[in-house]
Amino acid sequence: MLAAIILPIVILVGLLVIFLLIGIGIYNSIITLRNRIDNAWSQIDVQLRKRYDLIPNLVETVKGYAAHEKETLERVIKARNLGIEAKSVSEQSKAENMITSTLKSLFAVAEQYPNLKADQHFTRLMEQLNGIESNIAYARQFYNDSVLQYNTKIQTFPGNIFAGWFKFTPRDYFEIEEALAKEIREPVKVKF
Amino acid sequence: MYKYILSNRRKTVFIIIMFVIFITAFGFALGYFLDYRFGLGGGFSIILMIFALIFSLILSFSSYYYSDKIVISLTGARLLSRDEDPRVFYMVEGLSIAAGIPTPKIFIIEESGMNAFATGRNPQNGVIVLTRGLINNLNDEELKGVIAHEISHIKNYDILLGTIMAVLVGMILIITNIIFRSFLFGGSRRSSNKNSGGILNLIFLMIGILLIILSPFIAMIIRLAISRQREYLADSSGALITRYPAGLANALKKISLYSEVKTASNANEHMFIANPFGKTNRSLFGSLFETHPPVEERIRRLEEMALGIGLKKESQIIEEIKK
Repeated sequence: MLAAIILPIVILVGLLVIFLLIGIGIYNSIITLRNRIDNAWSQIDVQLRKRYDLIPNLVETVKGYAAHEKETLERVIKARNLGIEAKSVSEQSKAENMITSTLKSLFAVAEQYPNLKADQHFTRLMEQLNGIESNIAYARQFYNDSVLQYNTKIQTFPGNIFAGWFKFTPRDYFEIEEALAKEIREPVKVKF
Repeated sequence: MYKYILSNRRKTVFIIIMFVIFITAFGFALGYFLDYRFGLGGGFSIILMIFALIFSLILSFSSYYYSDKIVISLTGARLLSRDEDPRVFYMVEGLSIAAGIPTPKIFIIEESGMNAFATGRNPQNGVIVLTRGLINNLNDEELKGVIAHEISHIKNYDILLGTIMAVLVGMILIITNIIFRSFLFGGSRRSSNKNSGGILNLIFLMIGILLIILSPFIAMIIRLAISRQREYLADSSGALITRYPAGLANALKKISLYSEVKTASNANEHMFIANPFGKTNRSLFGSLFETHPPVEERIRRLEEMALGIGLKKESQIIEEIKK
């Protein structure tokens, strides 16, 4: 008689425990994925900082040979400052697209000054910039991969239930304009 | 992926336990025979067994921390600095960012054969080893493919299992070798002096034969643990990092032409991206216990992934190598 009461309770409690454990597992995996996005973002940030530090150097070097190309140089600096001040992912990606395109016009200018192209300091800066640009591309790839995994997890069952409970919101991708996409994948090439 | 990493850790523990059991049993067997020889009634067997147990435990724990350094020094690799080769350095840095692991150290083997391997106990202590021939003969896309393949090994913890296996199996092979040689040496002495050492020779003969019988099984354990599947997995996840499967496919075509590494041995063969003994001189025994899947099949799978984009023909590859 007693068993008839206890047995359903034991089964119920057992089921509750199992569901709780599964729930903890899913919750933890979502948090892990979210932390990975933050880590991926800091990787991008490190590379972007490196580029910000490099740009004033580059501008100064170009100024030494082509001082009257003021407009181009100012645009590069402006885009850089925008990038430093950016708060959100979409703002940042917009600023980075601007930096990339203004840098491109800077290189076009540099093409016209053989003395500048022969400058050792300039050549070394270009080498570094190419390395950083490809690193930015890789960091962005890792970031977007992480965002994809996280967004998929919180938008599909059973993750979406948890997203509702704990207010997990989808993250933004670090996007680049289509026209720029191809050139960024193959870092800026300077012909000497 | 996480299940896969877990399985690598489990296999590592299994290998270490097997090693401890093997060495302890060996110590006991040797002691047992010495007891028999000198009639000490179990003294030697217990002492030697305890000694072997402690010895193997110390070896196992130190192999966890130092096996990568042992393997690196055995292959004669040295550290590559950023200034020495910025091209390789930026590639490794970028690809490890894309894979989301800390940038591994880069070592170089000064040999003309094209090959590479990765080692270390976890991604924080990862190491990538490349040969000079590989860096010189591969173009950027191909080299990126190979580096991404090795980075995948690091990320999947294949390196932990592979490296510990290399050191522990290497140790067993050395012991087997010593026993076998002392048996041969003892044999020659017996012919000069027939009165002494008869039983001892018999003992070594028996142990020797036992170990010779055992060594194929040791090789089989390597083969079972280092499943060919992980090479395919590293190929495909490497291609995912570079987003360019043709790079690794072309690289493998080049590498398979000349992949010999003189400092490689039976114990660490399984760590290399391609067979370090080359294609030609392979014994029947070797092909039975192959640790790598056939390179043709790996290239075929990568080519399927590449959808015909950027693939090179055989003749083109040979042309590039000649330059």
